Amino acid sequence: MAGGETKQPTKNMKPNPLLIASLVGILFVLPAFAADSTATNSTEAAEIEALKKEIRELAQKVQALEHQRDLDQQTKTEPTQEQIQDLDQKVRILARQRELDQESTTAAAKAQPRITVGANGFSFGSADSNFVVALHGVLQVDSRTFQQNNNVPGNDSILLRRARPILSGTVYRDFDFLFVPEFGGGTPGASSSATTPSIYDAYVNYRYSPAFQVQAGKFKAPVGLEQLQADVNLSFNERSLVTDLVPNRDLGFELHGDIAGGVLSYAAGIFNGVGDARNSSNIGFQDNREFDGRLFIQPFKQTGFKPLQNLGLGVGGSWGDSSITNTLGLPASTGGSTTSSGFFTDGQQQFFAYTNGVVASRTHWRLSPQGSYYYGPLSLIGEYVISDQDVRNDSYSADLRNTAWEISGGWVLTGEDATSTGVTPKHPFNPHNGQWGALQVVGRYAELDVDKDAFPFFSNPAVSASSAKAWAVGLNWYLNRNIRVNASYSRTTFTGGGGAGTSVPAAVTQHPEEVFFTRVQLAF
Amino acid sequence: MKIFLKLFVLLGCAFAVAAHAKEIKLLNVSYDPTRELYQDYNAAFARYWKAKTGDNVVVAQSHGGSGKQAQSVINGLEADVVTLALAYDIDAIAQQAKLLPADWQKRLPNNSTPYTSTIVFLVRKGNPKGIKDWDDLVKLNVVVVTPNPKTSGGARWNYLAAWAYALDKYGHDDAKARDFIKRLYKNVPVLDSGARGSTTTFVEREIGDVLLAWENEAHLAIKQFGVDKFDIVTPPLSILAEPPVAVVDKVAKKRGTTEVAQAYLEYLYSDEGQDIAGRNFYRPRSEKAAAKYAIQFSPVKLVTVDEVFGGWQKAQKAHFADGGVFDQIFQP
Repeated sequence: MAGGETKQPTKNMKPNPLLIASLVGILFVLPAFAADSTATNSTEAAEIEALKKEIRELAQKVQALEHQRDLDQQTKTEPTQEQIQDLDQKVRILARQRELDQESTTAAAKAQPRITVGANGFSFGSADSNFVVALHGVLQVDSRTFQQNNNVPGNDSILLRRARPILSGTVYRDFDFLFVPEFGGGTPGASSSATTPSIYDAYVNYRYSPAFQVQAGKFKAPVGLEQLQADVNLSFNERSLVTDLVPNRDLGFELHGDIAGGVLSYAAGIFNGVGDARNSSNIGFQDNREFDGRLFIQPFKQTGFKPLQNLGLGVGGSWGDSSITNTLGLPASTGGSTTSSGFFTDGQQQFFAYTNGVVASRTHWRLSPQGSYYYGPLSLIGEYVISDQDVRNDSYSADLRNTAWEISGGWVLTGEDATSTGVTPKHPFNPHNGQWGALQVVGRYAELDVDKDAFPFFSNPAVSASSAKAWAVGLNWYLNRNIRVNASYSRTTFTGGGGAGTSVPAAVTQHPEEVFFTRVQLAF
Repeated sequence: MKIFLKLFVLLGCAFAVAAHAKEIKLLNVSYDPTRELYQDYNAAFARYWKAKTGDNVVVAQSHGGSGKQAQSVINGLEADVVTLALAYDIDAIAQQAKLLPADWQKRLPNNSTPYTSTIVFLVRKGNPKGIKDWDDLVKLNVVVVTPNPKTSGGARWNYLAAWAYALDKYGHDDAKARDFIKRLYKNVPVLDSGARGSTTTFVEREIGDVLLAWENEAHLAIKQFGVDKFDIVTPPLSILAEPPVAVVDKVAKKRGTTEVAQAYLEYLYSDEGQDIAGRNFYRPRSEKAAAKYAIQFSPVKLVTVDEVFGGWQKAQKAHFADGGVFDQIFQP
């Protein structure tokens, strides 16, 4: 095309050979004609002269055009092959430089801080993940409806069970932190202080390697399996009777880790020590310490044998010495309408209470063999706990050995896998597309036996039960990863107690406890 | 008590079963042109380790400019082993991040360099610009492709090879060598960050008349793109490139991979490891493999960094550190 464009103007100026020949011919013919025609008049001679002049002028123009054409041809030569190659190289170089600039821009973008928003919460962090801050949250709105509420105020209730903003993260790659305040914690009939915002978890964890980590702060003591399960992943609204005998959150230092990719998990720590099912305040209640530890093995976790990959067996335990007596070393006291230490039902009603004046004394140890199994839609958890505690009052002392156990199971009706971290629906709830999430049925049986030596000097047998047996069934509807709706029914029967009166625990143990739970849960 | 005894025996047995067949993951952080070498080698080592111990080893590879790769390890990339282009980059990991001892190079034979290479010229088929020696690279109409020595180990070898030639030619006159290098880099229109990028520039983007390349990279380009596309020109004088390897002690210890990582590097010196190096156009250390693959390498006078520049530390400081000779002579 370039060649065509340069030739076009040259073609327009090219002299016509026929025209030139004609003009030259006329120049020769006309004088001859004039010589032969002597009789031509002066007018004709003038015309001829004018024509001759015009012809000369035309000839000059032709020459000028030819000259111009030659000049044009000299200046408008076609580019050489070398010049084309040179230009081609320059274009390629520019293209490559642009390519490298884009690569550089992409690499620079990768170095920018990252912000993620999704089912797992919100997080932002440095490009190398050495610094990360994540925001999560839990909100649980529950209802409890008792068949016979036995005049326990507020036990039939709609309550904000948990309302926790969760801040977690990592600094300098190896240091993790977690901060969890509680703004819910509603317990029927409890004093207002029970719902006062409090710190549940606050710790720093140094991760030298997955197998060697050190944690300091307030967190769940490593003893009970059910207690260690995340609140948002429980099969039922409330944990079972077995958790009445293990510590909840405590303040201390813990060495822990996962060996061989989680085949063996261990945790061992020194803590302030808390009574059974108790949460520690932000300071210890005694000068002595408690040692807690747990081993959990999933022997087939790294094998390809799927039916046994998620089989786990373990044992947790604790040992502490309460040399300074204190009721805070006894079990929890925040359930129901009483502040006495004791044990609680699925409906969070107190069925056993120590009498006034009883305190923890000397040694308290626990032992908890435990196991879990997950395969496809099936989930099973089992746990046994011995809590051996020295108690005393002004006149007597005793070594009480309370025991509890539970087994619970579930089956995901819609076929998803059940895991220790919940169920992820294959088809998240979206009625417009005919998607309804995942459904899971769950069942549980649990027992708690109080040492017979607790009666009558440390607990009133007329009002406190010496044992409780509870079964429960439920249906869990996972709308998506974040929203879950539960409904369950629980029935607890008692041995002992049941005396007259409207106070707890007598009022609770007069009849079996039958309670219908619902929950709407947001967790992200 | 019997119950607990049984429980612990059960746990022990279960743990023993689980511990029977381990799957071990290693990360080898390497430089650009070793992709093919370590693809071959990783498979061979996995077979060897499986036969020896019953365990499975999966080696992940990471490649890039040697300097950039070293910086990534310093910044936290958890490499069990590093196989970089030059000792200086591993020295930097030892000095700045303290992830391995300063004398790491003494831990394996041949200064921890199980294979060597050199720098050659890859030119277009028929060598249209008639490039035979380093002198030809500074001619006005020659376009040279080489990566950025600030980020690429290969590029530093290229640069030092050219400098060594200039010193040899001009009677060790530093000023003339400097001028020679300046003229050479005037002919370099694109600086890639790594050797593989420069190969892409020359081979795929068809830029330039000559690529300064690792010898193995030049052979691989011909193998991959055909003998009808390129020729290799080996200059009479070049540099002995010694790419070293090392276990990153602290990372390997943390990940529990020290034993495998050590074996992984030691196996490079085995007959099979040396054969794989030769097959991938590296010059093997072992006489047996060197003899087997001698035919694929042209004779060349090789000088070393220690001889000409007094070692990598000096060379780095004088030429490639910020404000060094390269920064002074190269204007993008």
